[in-house]
Amino acid sequence: MGTKRIKNLLTNVGVIALLLIILFPVAYIFVSSFKPLSELIMTGTGFFPQKPTLANYTSLIFVRTPIRNFPVFLLNSLKVSIGTALFSVLIASLGGYGLARHQYVGRDILAQSMLFIYVFPTVLLLIPIYKMFQSLKLIDTHLGLIIIYTALSAPFCTWLLTSFFKTIPLELEEAASIDGASKMTIFLKITFPLAASGIVTVAVYSFIIAWGEYMFASILLSSSKNRTATLGLATLTAEQYIEWGPLLAGSILIILPVIVLFFPVAKQFIKGFMGGALKQ
Amino acid sequence: MKGYKRVSLVNYLYIMPVLVLIGMIFIYPLIQVGILSFYDIRMGAQEGLFVGLDNYRLIFSEPVFWKSIKSTLIWTFCSLILQLIIPLGMAILLNQKLKGVHFIRTSILLPWIIPMVALAVSMRWMLMPGMGIFNEVLKNTIGTQINFLGSQSAAMPTLIVLNTWKILPFGTLLILTALQTIPEEIYEAARVDGANFWRQFIHITFPLLGKVIWFMGFLVLVWNFNTFDTIWLTTEGGPGHIMQTLPILVYRRAFKVFRLGEGAAIATIGAIFLIVVGVLYFKFLSPKRDNES
Repeated sequence: MGTKRIKNLLTNVGVIALLLIILFPVAYIFVSSFKPLSELIMTGTGFFPQKPTLANYTSLIFVRTPIRNFPVFLLNSLKVSIGTALFSVLIASLGGYGLARHQYVGRDILAQSMLFIYVFPTVLLLIPIYKMFQSLKLIDTHLGLIIIYTALSAPFCTWLLTSFFKTIPLELEEAASIDGASKMTIFLKITFPLAASGIVTVAVYSFIIAWGEYMFASILLSSSKNRTATLGLATLTAEQYIEWGPLLAGSILIILPVIVLFFPVAKQFIKGFMGGALKQ
Repeated sequence: MKGYKRVSLVNYLYIMPVLVLIGMIFIYPLIQVGILSFYDIRMGAQEGLFVGLDNYRLIFSEPVFWKSIKSTLIWTFCSLILQLIIPLGMAILLNQKLKGVHFIRTSILLPWIIPMVALAVSMRWMLMPGMGIFNEVLKNTIGTQINFLGSQSAAMPTLIVLNTWKILPFGTLLILTALQTIPEEIYEAARVDGANFWRQFIHITFPLLGKVIWFMGFLVLVWNFNTFDTIWLTTEGGPGHIMQTLPILVYRRAFKVFRLGEGAAIATIGAIFLIVVGVLYFKFLSPKRDNES
């Protein structure tokens, strides 16, 4: 039994080391965002702040200039992310329902190609998308970003929801249809609520995609009042003198919503992801 | 089953929106990038001038392009190796019976979900010599400091590690899923026959994981090839072009120097490389469903 105990010990040590490596950077950014500048630019001041302060956050929020207006940037991000989540849920639940319930020519290939989209090199598509948005007058608009982010998240969402809809028994819908309910009523009153957990997962996923995106925002948004939070944060580093405190505070303001939204649906997400991955 | 036989056009309305979106943001631009690469287009101008292969001739004659190819290959393949080996180890570790499995599995997803921008800008601070925690640790242990992002020799390994840390959860979760499909009885039978951990790994685990590992390898290779945020937000392709991979070069050429045509040509070369890799993967390495052993 001695070797078994050693193995257990090694496993536990391994898991703890792993968790430290995974959690350390975010934890360190978090505690450091409460440190005064003197502790940020000097070494040997320790992990925790010696004189905790909210100055980094207040400076980020209240010291505003047109090119450094973080509250507005956060609102812009919120607007774009909520828009993306709504569009993605709409498009993916329609698509997922269609793929789960109807017979198409090449349905399996269609369902598979939803995932194949993720090997598309988005960087390489930047230039034509820029040109296209120029002629559609979508440059420097939030709608333009919402369209791109929906396109980035909708295929995965569709794929995830297809498997969700497949688990809902067809008999329920048939019974309603005998009672005279229309197709739209069946979808809205029966199928949609039953797939609720899948829909929430999809909404959170697409929100996170939109919330954290930087590259498309950086080329499509030209005026500073339209900037999203990620773009605003990145421009802080472009200044001559980098203010590390507000930068860390801004990072936390961008990271926190993602964690708060993701962890409640994490279980569902892992289940959907694992269930789908097995079918590959 | 009666409803299933009727293929009505109305059914296509359900999948239309997602297909239109894919066509607009992925398929059409992919074709368009090839076409644009034959034009001389400056930022701001609507119409470009057809110049044939001039953009390609120019790019092939530039040393900066060949340096970029070299950086891209080093970046892609070094990242790939790390991103296959480490998740494999992590998944095997997490596949043991553990307390708080759900908490651990959720926590390891953290790097994957946090926005790269926030990580990148904070990392610049943490990696700074004379200021950041990593150099503080180095100074206290081996007495020297490393300019992680600012020196030509350190930037590539540093960013490969950062990028690997970010992508780890994906591979780990994927391999973990596959591991859980392997029935415990196979291992028990092997243990009865006296097989140790390594023999079990080489003869049972690895062959059964083959399919997933190839699939993951392909995805991760493409993602690494396309990495933009991690590099642009930390070093902008520097120091001295060392991190200027193809996506960085495309972005710089098109949106910093404003030569869209030349950018499109570089993008097309990248796309051709990926298409070749994709075709090779599906022809030779893609798991065949029927000859699974």
